[in-house]
Amino acid sequence: MTGSKRMELVCPAGTPSTLRAAVEAGADAVYCGFRDETNARNFPGLNFSAQELAEGVRFAHDRGTKVLVAINTFARVGDVDIWRNAADTAVKCGADAIIAGDIAVLDHVARNHKDDIRLHLSVQAAAATPEAIRFYAQTFGVRRVVIPRVLSVPEITALNKNIDVETEAFVFGGLCVMVEGRCYLSSYATGKSPNLNGVCSPPEAVTYDEDKAGMAARLSGFTIDRYAPGEPTGYPTLCKGRFNAGGKTSYLFEEPVSLNAGSLIEGLKKAGVTALKIEGRQRGKGYVSEVVRAFRRAVDAVEEGGDAVEIDRILAGQSEGGRQTAGAYRKVWR
Amino acid sequence: MEARLPAFVRHLSPAFAGLPLGPALTRSLRALARRRPGLFDRLGEFAAERFFIDPVDLGFAFVVVPDGARATVRATGKDAGGDCSVVIRGPILTLLALLDGTQDGDALFFNRVISISGRTEAVLALRNAIEDAELTPADLIGLSGALGRLADAGILGGLDMARRFAAAASAPEMAERRS
Amino acid sequence: MTAISLTLGPVLFHWPAERLVDFYRRIADEAPVGRVHVGEVVCGKRMPFSDPCWPDVIERLERAGKEVVLATLAAPATVRERRSIADLCGDERLVEVNDITALPARSGQPFVTGPFLNVYNEATAGFLAGHGARAICPPVELSMAAVGAMAKACPEVDFELFAFGRLPLAISGRCYHARLHGLHKDSCQFTCEKDPDGLAVDTLDDQAFLAINGVQTLSNQVQAFCPAPETLRAHAIARLRLSPHTCDMVEVARTYRALLDGEETPGSARARLAGLDLPGDLVEGYVHARPGWMTAAMVD
Repeated sequence: MTGSKRMELVCPAGTPSTLRAAVEAGADAVYCGFRDETNARNFPGLNFSAQELAEGVRFAHDRGTKVLVAINTFARVGDVDIWRNAADTAVKCGADAIIAGDIAVLDHVARNHKDDIRLHLSVQAAAATPEAIRFYAQTFGVRRVVIPRVLSVPEITALNKNIDVETEAFVFGGLCVMVEGRCYLSSYATGKSPNLNGVCSPPEAVTYDEDKAGMAARLSGFTIDRYAPGEPTGYPTLCKGRFNAGGKTSYLFEEPVSLNAGSLIEGLKKAGVTALKIEGRQRGKGYVSEVVRAFRRAVDAVEEGGDAVEIDRILAGQSEGGRQTAGAYRKVWR
Repeated sequence: MEARLPAFVRHLSPAFAGLPLGPALTRSLRALARRRPGLFDRLGEFAAERFFIDPVDLGFAFVVVPDGARATVRATGKDAGGDCSVVIRGPILTLLALLDGTQDGDALFFNRVISISGRTEAVLALRNAIEDAELTPADLIGLSGALGRLADAGILGGLDMARRFAAAASAPEMAERRS
Repeated sequence: MTAISLTLGPVLFHWPAERLVDFYRRIADEAPVGRVHVGEVVCGKRMPFSDPCWPDVIERLERAGKEVVLATLAAPATVRERRSIADLCGDERLVEVNDITALPARSGQPFVTGPFLNVYNEATAGFLAGHGARAICPPVELSMAAVGAMAKACPEVDFELFAFGRLPLAISGRCYHARLHGLHKDSCQFTCEKDPDGLAVDTLDDQAFLAINGVQTLSNQVQAFCPAPETLRAHAIARLRLSPHTCDMVEVARTYRALLDGEETPGSARARLAGLDLPGDLVEGYVHARPGWMTAAMVD
């Protein structure tokens, strides 16, 4: 779909206080999850109880902001009711949309809550072609699809011309280099993965081991990266590590950079994208407030037809390892 | 934040007989739990974990079990962290700043200002719970009050003053980051 | 008691047409597998090289009594790739669906799903069965217990366990072979052809860990799950999938057929496989709901 409506800024809310911070920083919509494995950021101490969600919805609605609930992991065999109940609870709390990727969840919402809540297709569903998107739209009534980060701007333009649903594109935050929702690297090493448990490179598998050569950051004993004495360390996300292959040592899969497509907001609008998504439900309020405020200014500037505000400088300090990329949006990424 | 404590504080010995620091902090932590139950609820199963908090610039450390109404704080020697599932080490002023949100734990950890080892999920639960709680000075008054009594007793003497100096020193930096 | 069936999965690597022809000739003549998947799953750029050989390969396999299944791409992107899926879905043979893109084109006709399609529970499996799924090979990270639970809840579908081969763990828009050689996917020079089992990726401490195959990432270690047939029957699992490597796949198939017919024990079957020229150590962690890299000895 190519729309001429104002682009929506969709912002992460890991906890009730971050939800409030994002709303006050100017989010058009916030997205969050429940305190269990029904969402793909199932970290200790993160996410919402049903009561906290209901309160969050009231807070957001009072300020004209929408609330989207991520029930975006794949339901476990024999326990599908946990996911169905989460969807029912999201409806009861008055949320504006459910973001889902598993057919089981989409099917439940389509059958039981067709007129109660919007259905958005999670990036975890890895729907990147018109055929796949149309299937979800026609079968389950999906109204918006979060597009995988592997598509370039020209590809997104072509996609929007071929589908009837809205598109939501990531513009900032942690970057998944593999097709989302179909990556089992984490469970290969640690036994836990986004699809099995709602986590990737989980904290309980992380060790930082000091030796003569410096510090080794490991995941279940597999060395993901090494740091010289005194060098700042990073979190050993599996695909952001350094490896030996073909006689070379390199960040084979991806550098530990994060996505900043701020300079491409205008391009994404022209490509027909409806909503811009900021990743980061595991980040703190300071980070979220700063990023949302900056993108609010940038989006407003683009909507008013002026030059896009140069926000790279302001946001530079916030990303993982301090380095950024415009990712796959520029085709050279492949 | 590069504030340094006065020398006499750094040479404090763990055997400060007669000062009930542990019991005072325990009472304060339980009072916080009564006032802010959501914070402890958010810790979930990790509330029962033992956290070894080691201020590197002081001569003693703490073992904290943040178990809501049953929370305990014990002042201990520097080598008592063996049976704790989490060990957090850092300058005392930095550790306090983590509590009230003036410093970001991730940045401090990755820049090796603080060191954290042990059960990472417990650390994450603690960090997320404190982040969400938005602790105010009023919430922390019990905790800082107990430490303040040490100050009154002349032991931590310059702590309050040092803290104020540190806050003032880092303020222009903070303002620039947020602009 | 029905024998457990063997599927030969599609070749995941960029083998030249001559190699594919020789490979499938031997499979047709000698391998005790009932069903053989053919076609390109990983990278659409390879298709012009292999497309010409398929008609003869298929004919040869069918003449030998094998059931041929047409595999489709796991991450189609270009117009050409999407069109190839639509074409394949029009065939009367079974089609392996590895991406939702193929579903509308094939809905209502019988198909099988490969380990790239997310089927994690009985509700999703039932939905796909309703659309024509006859067999489901779930993502490799699912345990035998989980697959069995789905199988029992959906008796109308054959569930297939990925028993042998480097485990397919991820797929990307970025080509890692190209990246390693300082190239871009569009001008990759097909360097992945040099690594017919994938290219090993070790950690900085020289631990064997992963392998790359163009846009795909696999385990370095080779899954070699050798279950007693009663174990599979207890879990209602009807089929095992063997994923082709450069080792003697006829011998692999014979080993598994002997195992499933009660002529080899799990231990002796595993020993037979260990004697082959495999690209990595034998593992089976996933099957036992453990990290994928764990060996048989570790999970006992």
